[in-house]
Amino acid sequence: MNGASTAKKRHNRLPAIAQAGPVSLWMILFVTIPMLFIIFISFMTRGSFGGVEYTPTLTSYETLADVIYLNVILKSLRVALVTTVVCLLLGYPFAYYIARKPADVASRLIMLLMIPLWTNSLMRLNAWMLLFQTNGPVNKALLGLGFVEKPVTFLYTDGLVLLGLITNFLPFAVLPMYSSIEKLQTAMLEASADLGAKPSVTFFRVTLPLTFPGIFSAIILTFIPALGTYTITDMLGGGKVLYIGNIIKNQFGTIRNWPLGAALSVLLLLVTALLIFVYSRFAKIEDMEVL
Amino acid sequence: MMKQISNRKLRRQKRNRFFGALYASIIYALFYIPVLVMIQFSFNDAKRNYSWEGFTTMWYGKLFSFRNHDLWEALVYSLIIAVIATIISVAIGVLGGVGLKKFEFRGKRFINLMLYVPIVVPEIVLAVSMLIIFMTIGIKLGMGTIVIGHCTFCIPYAVVTIKGRISGDNETLQEASMDLGANRLQTFWRVTIPSIMPGILSAAFLSFTLSIDDVIMSNMLASARQSTLPVLILSVNRTGVTPDINALTTIMVLVMVAGMLLLSAVQRARAKKEAREIAEMEKRISTMHSMVE
Amino acid sequence: MKRTLSVLVALIMLLTLTPAFAAQEEINIFMWSDYISDDLIANFEDEYGVRVNLSYMSDNADSITKLTAGAGSEYDLIMTCDAYMESLIAGGYLEQLDLSQIPNSENINRAYWSEQNQGYCVPYLMNYIYVVYDTERCPIEITCYNDLIRPEMKGQIGSVDGARNLFPIALIALGYDPNSRNENEIKEAYEWLVKYNENVVAYGSTETNMVSGTISCMFTYDGNTAEAMAQLGENNTLTVAPFTSDPVQLGFDLYVIPKGAQHIDLAYKFLNYICDPEVMAANLVDNPYSCPNDAAVAAASEEYRNGPAFNFDYKTNIFFQEDVGDAITIYDQYYQMLKVG
Repeated sequence: MNGASTAKKRHNRLPAIAQAGPVSLWMILFVTIPMLFIIFISFMTRGSFGGVEYTPTLTSYETLADVIYLNVILKSLRVALVTTVVCLLLGYPFAYYIARKPADVASRLIMLLMIPLWTNSLMRLNAWMLLFQTNGPVNKALLGLGFVEKPVTFLYTDGLVLLGLITNFLPFAVLPMYSSIEKLQTAMLEASADLGAKPSVTFFRVTLPLTFPGIFSAIILTFIPALGTYTITDMLGGGKVLYIGNIIKNQFGTIRNWPLGAALSVLLLLVTALLIFVYSRFAKIEDMEVL
Repeated sequence: MMKQISNRKLRRQKRNRFFGALYASIIYALFYIPVLVMIQFSFNDAKRNYSWEGFTTMWYGKLFSFRNHDLWEALVYSLIIAVIATIISVAIGVLGGVGLKKFEFRGKRFINLMLYVPIVVPEIVLAVSMLIIFMTIGIKLGMGTIVIGHCTFCIPYAVVTIKGRISGDNETLQEASMDLGANRLQTFWRVTIPSIMPGILSAAFLSFTLSIDDVIMSNMLASARQSTLPVLILSVNRTGVTPDINALTTIMVLVMVAGMLLLSAVQRARAKKEAREIAEMEKRISTMHSMVE
Repeated sequence: MKRTLSVLVALIMLLTLTPAFAAQEEINIFMWSDYISDDLIANFEDEYGVRVNLSYMSDNADSITKLTAGAGSEYDLIMTCDAYMESLIAGGYLEQLDLSQIPNSENINRAYWSEQNQGYCVPYLMNYIYVVYDTERCPIEITCYNDLIRPEMKGQIGSVDGARNLFPIALIALGYDPNSRNENEIKEAYEWLVKYNENVVAYGSTETNMVSGTISCMFTYDGNTAEAMAQLGENNTLTVAPFTSDPVQLGFDLYVIPKGAQHIDLAYKFLNYICDPEVMAANLVDNPYSCPNDAAVAAASEEYRNGPAFNFDYKTNIFFQEDVGDAITIYDQYYQMLKVG
């Protein structure tokens, strides 16, 4: 940022307030204040009958030192990572395909992608389970065609969990990548080709770097929510494994240990903040003004 | 020689197009298979959807007898909340996305950081915290509080998608527009918004999707009068989903597909009409030319 | 654009104002969906000229979270379960009940309704959590909890979830108090549950998994079993495990009036209404769960009383889930270890 443009930007106080004001106000009112309250609660005592007693203590944070929470975080990170990588690999070519279509076709294709999401996610998970259950259609087909001797157990396997996670998060990866591929100038790709670059070179040297902001958004929009998810893993995984999201939810629900739930949330926030920080340094993203 | 190359190129293009379409179809199948299964089970002749027991249309009959208002009321309530939450989130998201990109101000990093919080923290945390705060300052629970809850996690998604869309080009365009004498508002409305339109659309889709499917905020911040559809579905899921919910969801999908078809038909008709008008105009101009000659 | 917006605004106003126009009195109830008959609600509305607003919980802890966060006064009746009663009473979250306003509550069997709870709640329906297996597919006959951890049962079991449902059966299998507060006993129970966990295919959705053939044995609620058996119809080969000495858990879903409720009068009327034997008997057709209302059970259909899901002879060999106070955090810790590994 050079001096002149900074000076120019200072003059723009009114539009700055008009544009950045609402979002700032909203975030402060409905995110900062509740989160400060959560941080405050995390230093309080668990009420014997649920809720919170306002006596300061570090008990919750001492509990966090238990190795079990480290395991949970690592497990959750692994699931989120696998989901994100698969979503990017599947989603990028798909986004590319849509983005290279004429604008009106592309917008219809995107809509086609979103329509299934407007049905309830629980109902969609149920549908997968009905499809893959022991006496379900997939098994019947396999048996009928003679591929297997007896029904295969698909339910509650890692494969089905991954399928559920991917179908849930893929659209969130596709959208930002689509909008950043779409704004690539065709002329630029043609120039690269005209200059004799092979398609693969054009892709890795021109297309990919230019669409990096979209990829970054896609990572944020899949990895971070996948980190806190639990309904999908719970339903398709048969509730045999707890993830960080489950544990936090349980503290606010059945266990009624709000301070511990609050402390776990703070921990989750710190882990994510650290990851974003490391990632943005590592990938040298100037555009993402994160942290 | 030249011809051969272009032939090969053409063939390759054709092949690429085929594989592209095939790949896209597979991805779409991933999203539509569960929807088709869901539709199939709306015709299930069983009290609950444990397995396929035979064909019936009785669930649609039950749904359209309107004896059970619950499902319809929940659906309408969810839709209204989703529409309002989407409008608010996109409006704030567009302004915020542009503003946070363009201007430097104190606390900007902080706001950027805050945007990630609702995406990271499990929803129940913000929901409980908001519930306590609302109860303490005496805000009545209801549609308003649910909308606030939904917007809180939709706005970050909207801002992130829109910000990803803005690039250096936008700034050049804006400056050009201002140099040509447009004021800020005109520039924003006529230049900035159209240039980020795909981002805005994505943001709207995302917000609507997140809101229409939300359970936790909708549950915690709801008043005693009315539950949203997802809350109702999750509650029923304790003993197994009943096929009338599948029937309702099927109707919802059909209405949306119909809406999409209608929209694109209108668009196409409008485009055709414009093309015709332009052609007519050209014809008139050329006649004028010939008359002049 | 403007027109769409104004239509929208009009719609919202219409929707938010509708209840205000209705001069009728209202009662707000928070409970499970699909857990009370539509006819019962409609008849109550007609008889008393009131409007019943039902809103639904998605998790058993929802009502607790709402109450502890201070949102209880939004409701007139809240459904919760017996395990939370002690905490809710001690925390002062509930209105004390005047049973003289609920004369029909005489019909409720006092064995299921403790002296202390009588002052604060009215039981609605109840659930045995017991073991059911498929006589054709299950490798062994199950007669006690210890059978569930035998190696033959690997990959056969579907189970309900939750620390306070799982630990009691382990404690009983080991010969301890199912509501133990002793850390060593809980730890032993955890070790028992690790073996149980190896045999479990999935927690939750037990009846779906049973009907679809994914499991051959389930630790589940009687009401869910009734649904599964009804769906299997003539092909039903499920049977309630003939337990010889181990007690089974009996849990209650009950109504409480939250502190500060706005329509206590109507809440009493509603509670009295559902305790009416005829009303409850009709309700049991749609909701075939066990019922603490003896007069209602007597008035209920043959089909309900002879339902195969209730066909077991140890109905009185039961234990209740009690509030374990601060020991809940010990349970939680071991439950997490069980699930994290």
